[in-house]
Amino acid sequence: AAAAPQTPPRPPSSHPSNAARPAMVAKSGAPPVPESVLKKRRATEKVAGERLIAAKAAQKARREAKKEAFKRAETYAAEYRAAERTVIDAKRASRKDGKFYVPDGAKVAFVIRIRGINAMPPKEKKILRLLRLRQIQNGVFVKLNYATIRMMQRVEPYITYGYPNLKSVKELIYKRGFGKVGTRGAWSRIPLSDNRIIEEALGKYNIICMEDLVHEIFTCGEHFKEANNFLWPFQLSSPKGGYSKKSKLIHFTEGGDAGNREDLINRLIQRMN
Amino acid sequence: MSSPAAARPVVTVLSAETGQPSGSTSMPAVFTAPIRNDLVQIVHTSMRKNHRQPYAVSRMAGMQSSAESWGTGRAVSRIPRVPGGGTHRSGQGAFGNMCRGGRMFAPTRIWRKWHRKVPRKQKRYAVVSALAASALPALVMARGHEIDDVPEVPLVIDGTAEGMKKTAKAVTLLKSLGAYDDVERVMETRKMRAGKGKLRNRRFKQRRGPLVVYEKDDGIVKAFRNLPGVDLCSVDCLNLLQLAPGGHVGRFVIWTEKAIQKLDSIYGTGETGSSIKKNFVLPKNIISNSDVARIINSDEIQSVIRPIAEKKTWVQRKKNPLRNTEVLFKLNPYARIQKKEVQKKTITASADKSAGKAFYEQMIAN
Repeated sequence: AAAAPQTPPRPPSSHPSNAARPAMVAKSGAPPVPESVLKKRRATEKVAGERLIAAKAAQKARREAKKEAFKRAETYAAEYRAAERTVIDAKRASRKDGKFYVPDGAKVAFVIRIRGINAMPPKEKKILRLLRLRQIQNGVFVKLNYATIRMMQRVEPYITYGYPNLKSVKELIYKRGFGKVGTRGAWSRIPLSDNRIIEEALGKYNIICMEDLVHEIFTCGEHFKEANNFLWPFQLSSPKGGYSKKSKLIHFTEGGDAGNREDLINRLIQRMN
Repeated sequence: MSSPAAARPVVTVLSAETGQPSGSTSMPAVFTAPIRNDLVQIVHTSMRKNHRQPYAVSRMAGMQSSAESWGTGRAVSRIPRVPGGGTHRSGQGAFGNMCRGGRMFAPTRIWRKWHRKVPRKQKRYAVVSALAASALPALVMARGHEIDDVPEVPLVIDGTAEGMKKTAKAVTLLKSLGAYDDVERVMETRKMRAGKGKLRNRRFKQRRGPLVVYEKDDGIVKAFRNLPGVDLCSVDCLNLLQLAPGGHVGRFVIWTEKAIQKLDSIYGTGETGSSIKKNFVLPKNIISNSDVARIINSDEIQSVIRPIAEKKTWVQRKKNPLRNTEVLFKLNPYARIQKKEVQKKTITASADKSAGKAFYEQMIAN
């Protein structure tokens, strides 16, 4: 920080009332520097000093945040592996006993709108708007509960949805993740190019990096709602290889694309991401 | 509580005989009033309409015929036509604005609103602004007056001028004041008017010269009135149309001493109201210290304002972390380790694969 300098004897101000007084010439013989210039200089130096301190502190904070992100990603990787293995081990154990192991139902679905905006009946239009699917090929994560399941049933002809796996969630958020940054009435769609964006928006929920966000979405954590709402609806490409040969608009079970396709959504996501 | 005259700036009074300084008087407070040239323009355009004379076409012009339309079916347009026969006029169209000898479109009427009412307060404010502008040499010059040789603005001559009787004396006075340049300017700009005004008693146009303001006419009007461009005005009834001709503030005004001394009682000072105009106090400036830069850089303000907020801009061009490892490692530092693990796995996997293939070849060979 720039130390406050010992103020030298101030040169007289150039106010007209001082015209009678003899001008004080600086020791070097050069004309005196105007007081306003000195004041401005002092103020600028002070601000620059404060900025320097803030910049150094910010750098330190970034280094800490990077370390923290590393640690968290490590624990999550172990957690995912462990979760996978428990399911596999439980299945094997129950098969040995001649029983069946039913894993937990999915908690999160990924919903993609496959139908355009024309000729939409009003209630279905409203539901799609509530799901934030305002455009064709838009995708959102949705928490699965009684309410949302019924909502999705209602708009089945217009969407396709299923249960994404970790790879899908990761790739969607990394490749097509944009955050909703700003305030109400002034939102911006900001690409997730830096963990600071996530930290500023979701830091209060202890979500500070991409891996935290992925974890919150994939495992449907406590703050799924906030994390999910922070994510702008994904704008996906048309699927490589096209929709179903038969007809996009009939139900998946009938050979089309609409409706719940459970785990097979992951293939579609790979083709659309 | 009026401030002592010594505290107010002082205006030198020049002698009417010699044009040399002969005394001084304090500056009236009117000259420090705010200069609202926008208001002056508004009031001027309205006031200028008040000496108009109505014009209109005759009420019956073009309508004094008994023409009637022939209707359809006669291979002519449906305009009313003059009846009768035996003359060119019969069968000709009448009444319409497109017809020869017909009435014009929207005949001008005398009941057009010729005059404008201007609120008294606005008129007074405008006059006060115009007076304040006349005290600033920059504005007077900007208006176009030749006052390079004038010793002081406002220009005040002593009371003996009010008793002047001869125009020749008036000319020598103006010359000694350096004000005759402005009169000469007027003479030079005397030109024939373009347009019909020529034939309507407005044959020549010329600029406006100095305005001489007096308190009592003892002959001064007769002395000055024949000089080209010079206007005269009593201080009791100052006219905006003369103080700001064309709506432009900054007329070159020559005051007599008594006239300028009367201004304080007519318009009041900032503290006291006017003794003559009812309920009138000089308007106040919105900002009293016009050195805005100095205000901004003053300690009082600089000590409480915050520094400029740095605008944070995030990277707008998204780089794909699934393909760009630098961006991936920035977002997920652990990805470095994960990539290494994957590499190791692929190496062992490919090693296994090639080993298996070699065994198969061997098996076939055997």
